[in-house]
Amino acid sequence: MAHSSSKQPKPAGPKSKTIGLLAQFDDPESLVAACERARDAGYQKFDAYSPFPVHGIDPAMGISRTRLPFFVLAIGLTGCLVALAMQYYMNAVDWTKIFPGYAFFISGKPLEISPANIPVTFEVIILSSAFATFFGMWLFNRLPQFANPLHRINRFRRATNDRFFLMVETADAKFDANRTRQQFEEWGATAIENVDLDLTDQEIPKFFKMAGIVGMFLLLVPPVMTFRAYGSTNRAPRLHVVPDMDWQDKYKAQQTSPNIGTDKEPVFLYADDRAMRAPVAGTVARGDLQEDDRYFRGYEPGTLPPPVKPVAAESSPANFVSTGGPNAQDPAPAVQDPATAGQYPGEPKWIDTVPAPFTVSEAAIARGKQRFEIYCSVCHGYDGNGNGLVNRRALALAATGQAQWTTAKSIHDPTVKVQPIGRIFDTISNGRNSMGPYRSQIPVEDRWAIALYVKALQETGIQPPAGAAVPPAAPQQ
Amino acid sequence: MATVDLTSLDNTIEDGKHRAPLVLGGMNYSDVTDAVAGVWEKKQPAIWWPIFGLSVSLTLLFGALIMHLFFKGVGVWGNNNPTYWAFDIVNFVFWVGIGHAGTLISAILFLFRQHWRTSINRAAEAMTIFAVICAATFPGIHIGRIWVFYWLFPVPTEHLAMWPNFRSPLLWDVFAVGTYATTSLLFWYMGMVPDLATFRDRSKSKIGQFVYGLLSLGWTGSARNWHRYEMAYTILAALATPLVLSVHTVVSFDFAVSQLPGWHTTIFPPYFVAGAIFSGFAMVVTLLVPVRKLYGLENLITIRHLENMNKIIMATGLMVGTAYTIELFIAAYSGVASEQFAFYNRAFGNYWWAYFIMFSCNVFIPQLFWIKWCRTTPWFMVIVSIFVNIGMWFERFVIIMALCRDFIPGSWFYYRPTWVDLSMLLGSFGLFFTLFLLFCRYLPVIAMSEVKNVIPHADHGHGEEHAAHSAASH
Repeated sequence: MAHSSSKQPKPAGPKSKTIGLLAQFDDPESLVAACERARDAGYQKFDAYSPFPVHGIDPAMGISRTRLPFFVLAIGLTGCLVALAMQYYMNAVDWTKIFPGYAFFISGKPLEISPANIPVTFEVIILSSAFATFFGMWLFNRLPQFANPLHRINRFRRATNDRFFLMVETADAKFDANRTRQQFEEWGATAIENVDLDLTDQEIPKFFKMAGIVGMFLLLVPPVMTFRAYGSTNRAPRLHVVPDMDWQDKYKAQQTSPNIGTDKEPVFLYADDRAMRAPVAGTVARGDLQEDDRYFRGYEPGTLPPPVKPVAAESSPANFVSTGGPNAQDPAPAVQDPATAGQYPGEPKWIDTVPAPFTVSEAAIARGKQRFEIYCSVCHGYDGNGNGLVNRRALALAATGQAQWTTAKSIHDPTVKVQPIGRIFDTISNGRNSMGPYRSQIPVEDRWAIALYVKALQETGIQPPAGAAVPPAAPQQ
Repeated sequence: MATVDLTSLDNTIEDGKHRAPLVLGGMNYSDVTDAVAGVWEKKQPAIWWPIFGLSVSLTLLFGALIMHLFFKGVGVWGNNNPTYWAFDIVNFVFWVGIGHAGTLISAILFLFRQHWRTSINRAAEAMTIFAVICAATFPGIHIGRIWVFYWLFPVPTEHLAMWPNFRSPLLWDVFAVGTYATTSLLFWYMGMVPDLATFRDRSKSKIGQFVYGLLSLGWTGSARNWHRYEMAYTILAALATPLVLSVHTVVSFDFAVSQLPGWHTTIFPPYFVAGAIFSGFAMVVTLLVPVRKLYGLENLITIRHLENMNKIIMATGLMVGTAYTIELFIAAYSGVASEQFAFYNRAFGNYWWAYFIMFSCNVFIPQLFWIKWCRTTPWFMVIVSIFVNIGMWFERFVIIMALCRDFIPGSWFYYRPTWVDLSMLLGSFGLFFTLFLLFCRYLPVIAMSEVKNVIPHADHGHGEEHAAHSAASH
C-alpha cells in the first residue's frame, strides 16, 4: 500500500515499529510480583493485563485512585438541579413566550417545588449519575479503541482467558531492549515477545471517508425535514389514525335515521326519518319552567293582552347594519305622555319595581354596569346617549348611502326615562324595532342588573343629545 | 484435576473451618472459560429449538394482538366500568417485580460482598432487562391513543403547550421504569464487556470476531482499565441499590397515592419491594435450574447457589405473608367501614379463589424450604418457584380486583378477561423466553471474569481438598 499511492507521505519506510515488550506470566501472584519489581526498577510506562482484576495490583503498579467518583458526583448534582428546574418550569412557569410551561393547578397542590417532585428528581439523579459512571469510565479508560497492536499477538488472546501479561513501552525512559528482556526473564516470565505497531495499515480506506461524508449528509435529512415542517401549516386533510374513533358508529341528535331497509323500499327507524325522538309537546326542560311572569318577563301576571299581531322583533334576528328590511321603520305608538307612563296599548302592564329573587345592591349595579358596557355600549355608548362606536360607524355609512341605519336611542330620551323597569327588561330581552333580542346571550339576572343600571344612569341627569337625535327617534319609542 | 465425582459433591454443608467452595470440580481459569464459552461455542442442546420455536410463535402472537389492540381499541380487553385497570397493570407490575431479583443479585449482594452472586448475576441481570421490556410493553400499549404516546415524556413542543403532570404517580412510573431499564442495561452491558472480549478472542468466525470485537470496545484487561472499571462497577451498584428499591416503591405509589380503600396504605412500598424480590428470585430459580442442567454448568451454578436463593425466597415469602396479615389487621383496627369491606371482599368476596391461590402459593408453599431436601433438590425447587410465580401474579390480580366492587353496589361488576387478555399474558412470556434463549445462545451466561476472581488462586488443590472433605463428612 505504501508504494501504491504517490500521495503517501511516507513512500518507503519500515513496515512496523516495536512499541513495547510483552512478558507472559502464568498466575496472578507472579504478575503482581513482576509489577512491583517493574515499578521499583523505575519504569513509568508499563501496564499489566489479566482476565480478571487482580487483587493488590494497584499499589504494586503505583496506580493512583481514579477521579471517576468526583466526576459522577458533579454530574449527579447537575442532574438534581436540572430535574428540579425542569419540573418547576414545566408545571409552574407559563409566562414565557417560547416553549411556555403550563401551570397545572391540581388538587390545590402548590405549583412550586413540593414533595411530589422528589421521585422524578431522584430518578433523574440516578439516571444522570449512571450515564456519568458508564460513559465516564470508558472515557477515562480511552475506550473504545478498536485498533490495538496487542490484539495482533496470538498469545495475547489468552489475556481474556487464563494468562497474565506485563508490557513495558519502548517510549519509557528506562527501556532498553536487552536489559528489559533480561529483567523479564529474572522476574519469571514464561514467554517474552515484541509488540509491533503495523505501519503499513495506518490510513483509513477512502471508502470509509466517502461513506462517512454521505452518511453525515443523510443524517442531516431528518432534522432539515423537521425544521421545514416546524411552524408551517399543512393544508392536507388530517390523518385519521383510528377511523372508528373519528367516525363513531352512532347517530347524533338532529341526524336522519339510517335506512334499515333496501334502497327501493326504505325503512327508517322512525316514520319521520329522524334518528332522535322529539320531546312530547309541552315538555319543559329541567330548570326552564319560568313560571314567574314578573321575574322572567317583566310584567304583572295576567295582564298580557290577547295577541293582535306577532311581535316584530321575534320574527328575525337583528340586522344592525341593515339594507332596509320591513322592520326598519316600524310604525310604533306615539310619544307617551309622562302622565300615562306604564300604559302602552297592546302591551301588558309592566312592573316598575325589581321582581322578587333579584335584589338591588351596589354589587348588582356594578354587575349591570359591566354587562352594559359589554353588550349595550357598542351602540348606546358608555353614557347611554346613543353614541356608541357601532352607531357612529353605521351613521357614517348611512350618510354616504352605503347602509340604512336607525340611530340608536338615547336612554336619556324623555320617552325612555318614563318607561317602567319591566319594559326596559323586555326591550333587552326581546329587542325593539331594529334592536335585536339579547335573551339568549344574557342570563335573566344579568338582564335585571342591566335594567337597574339603565335606571341608575337615567338618574344622573345626563341630557339627551339635542336636535339631531330627537326627530329621527320620534317614530320609535 | 477435575476428577472428583460430581454426584458425591456437596457444598451445602455448613462447616465452620472452611468456606464452602463456590466453584466445584476443581476448575481452573481456563476450565471456567471453556465451560461458559462452551455454551456459546458448542451446538445448542436439542431441546433449545422446540422451546425457541414455541417462544417465537408466542412472541408473534403477542405482536399480532398488539396490532389488534391498536386497530380495534382497548375494548378488546375485558376492562370495563368500574374495573378500568385489569390485566395490563397486573402484567406490568408482575414483570417489573420479576426484574428486581436481577438488580438485587448484581448490586445489593455485590455491596454486601456476597461472592456466591458471581455465578448467577449475569443471567439474573439479563432476566431483569427482558422482564422490564415485557413490563414496559403493557403501559406502552394500554394508553388508548397510541399515536400520542410521546405525551408521556416532557417533549418540548411549542404548539402543544402541554407538559406532563409531575405530581402524578403514573408519571413517576415513566421516570422510574425508564431509569431502571436504562441503568440495568448499562450495568449489564458494562459487566459483560470483559467476557465479550473473551468471546472475541475465542471466536473462529469473521462475523463473530467483528461483532464481539465491536461489542467489547477493544477491551484488553489492562490493570489501569480494571481499576476504573471496578470503581465504576461499585458506583453503579451503589446507584442501582436505591434505584431498585425506588422503582417498586413508585410502582406501589400507583395504588398507594390513590384514595381507594384497600390501596391507600403506607405498607405498600415495602410490601411491593419484598414481593418483587420474592417473585424475581423464583423466576431466577425457574430459569437457572434448567440452564445449568442443559449446558452442564453444575460446577459453576452449584446446589449451594440454588439453596441460597431458596433461602431468600423463603425469607421474602415470609415478609409478604406478614404484609398480607398486617393489611388485614390494619383494616380491622382502622374502624373504617370501607377499608374493612375492601379487605373482607378481598378475602371472601367474589375473587376469594384468587386470594386463596395467592396466599397458598406465596405464604404456605415456600415454607417447604425449611426442609433441606426441598431446597437442595433442583426439580422440586422449580415446582415451588413456579407456584411462587403464579402466586405473585395473583397477588397483583387480587389487589387490582378491588376495583370490581366500588362504592356504588349498582356498578359492581365481575371482571372476566377476554381471550385477548389471556393470550397477551401468554405472549409476554413468549417474548421473555425468546430473549432469554437468544441470550443463552449468543452471550456469556456466567460472568467469567468475576467467577475467576472467586476461585482459589495458585493453590487449585484447595477446593478439591475441601470438596473431598465435604464428601467424606456427608
